[in-house]
Amino acid sequence: MRTTLYHGEPNGPSLTVLATLFAKEVQADLVHIDLARGERHMLACAQDPLVAMGVEGEGPVLVVEGEAMTDSVFLACYLDDVGQGAVLRPTDPYARWETMTWCRQMIERTAPAAAYLGCRAHPPQADAELLQRIGSVDLRARWREIMTGSFSADHLSDSRTKIRQTVDKIEQRLDGRQWLMGAFSIADIESYAWLAGMVSLVPEAFAARPRTAAWLERVRGQPAVRKALSLAHTADPAAVWSVGPEINRWG
Amino acid sequence: MHSVTLYHWEPNANSGKPMLALMEKGVAFNSHYLDLISFDQHKPEYLAVNPQGTIPAMLHGERVLTESTAIMEYVDEEFAGPALMPAEPRDRWRVRWWMKLMDQWLGPSFSMIGWKLFVGPAVRDKDPQELQAAIERIPLPERRVAWRKAITGAFGTEELEESRRRVALGIRMLEDELARRPWLASNQYSLADINGFNLAYGLPVVWPELSNDELTPNILRWLRAIYARPATKACWAMGRTNMAKRAAILEQPHIASGQRA
Repeated sequence: MRTTLYHGEPNGPSLTVLATLFAKEVQADLVHIDLARGERHMLACAQDPLVAMGVEGEGPVLVVEGEAMTDSVFLACYLDDVGQGAVLRPTDPYARWETMTWCRQMIERTAPAAAYLGCRAHPPQADAELLQRIGSVDLRARWREIMTGSFSADHLSDSRTKIRQTVDKIEQRLDGRQWLMGAFSIADIESYAWLAGMVSLVPEAFAARPRTAAWLERVRGQPAVRKALSLAHTADPAAVWSVGPEINRWG
Repeated sequence: MHSVTLYHWEPNANSGKPMLALMEKGVAFNSHYLDLISFDQHKPEYLAVNPQGTIPAMLHGERVLTESTAIMEYVDEEFAGPALMPAEPRDRWRVRWWMKLMDQWLGPSFSMIGWKLFVGPAVRDKDPQELQAAIERIPLPERRVAWRKAITGAFGTEELEESRRRVALGIRMLEDELARRPWLASNQYSLADINGFNLAYGLPVVWPELSNDELTPNILRWLRAIYARPATKACWAMGRTNMAKRAAILEQPHIASGQRA
């Protein structure tokens, strides 16, 4: 089965998929693309609806037997299903519900906040011709806002709050645990992937959070995560951002 | 065997998802109806169950579960009955991709317009002080903002226009995908179809100019096939308002372009 992963720097969604792929020993051709320059929109599959309209924004694309797949948490679930070794989601249905609900909160609340703050500090840059290729009108609008520096004070403040709330939740969750769901799981990978770059951007969220600090180190030390990070083309991949999911527009 | 209690509103959107999943699996549950229009979901009795005040919530024995899509996956895995997730990993990915698009991109656009047309006007007759107190009780700040907008009708022209754009595009996407295979995300009836029916069963009533047998034959074929299932019939019969009754339009053999119910 021919599998190709088009991924960006090992941060955010690309880190989630790379680390899962390595943890599950899935064989794939790895192709590094610059998501921060919008290179995903140059791919042959860029206009496939399930690529162009992905809610995640600029994330990796996994092509399996000609079908282009997006959305890092669901790609991680797929890799967990097809790969080898220890499961990265619990097998008990209730524990799986906890894992999926945790990831949903990360996807819906933390990821948009982290991408917004990340893009403000390290703005992605795509040229005008490339922007025209972006199939999703709302994703293109987010690119324009970011490239023109139109960041809303409300969204910035709310995003910092969301990061603080996420770290608080992690700190509580780690009381008496090494990993968020008991054993190392997709929830650890996904949470780490969005938060690693926030330590320098929202330092107050991490102040006096010893369990979170130790957990960040533990995740970073996992062989699959180390291998993913070793693919970086830049010195600090956690400082490379591209346009993320939309900040909740309604309720 | 632990009992199942579901706290839900109408068979519609988020509430209808676990209702229909449970009924498809043949799981008996205690139904606890919450009247969204009377703000039952923000009253202390319910906040004791789900402190976030969101609907639905499910009790299974001592377990408390929230987030409708995640509840559906739990229901499918925990209980016997027909599998509602396909066995092939790539099909499972497609089910989740579509559910996320509907939950986070398309659904909120439908709901913004639905709240402007239905929920807002339905609560506006209430005593203003009572409404204010009801808003203050809402635990999540995002939901407070949403309710305030719905009650005052304070939607901007641009945001409504953007929601209409997404609705029209989403309908096209659903039609194109359903032209490829019998069900939305795989060749088997799945949670994506349950999720999709909850979002789309009212389409030919609310958006007849965008969804009808001439423009979107595959959506109509799909909606009628889901509506014909015994679990769907039983589930929609639990509706108490005119909202759920909209599904009856699917009994018509042909819905012409622009026909209003």
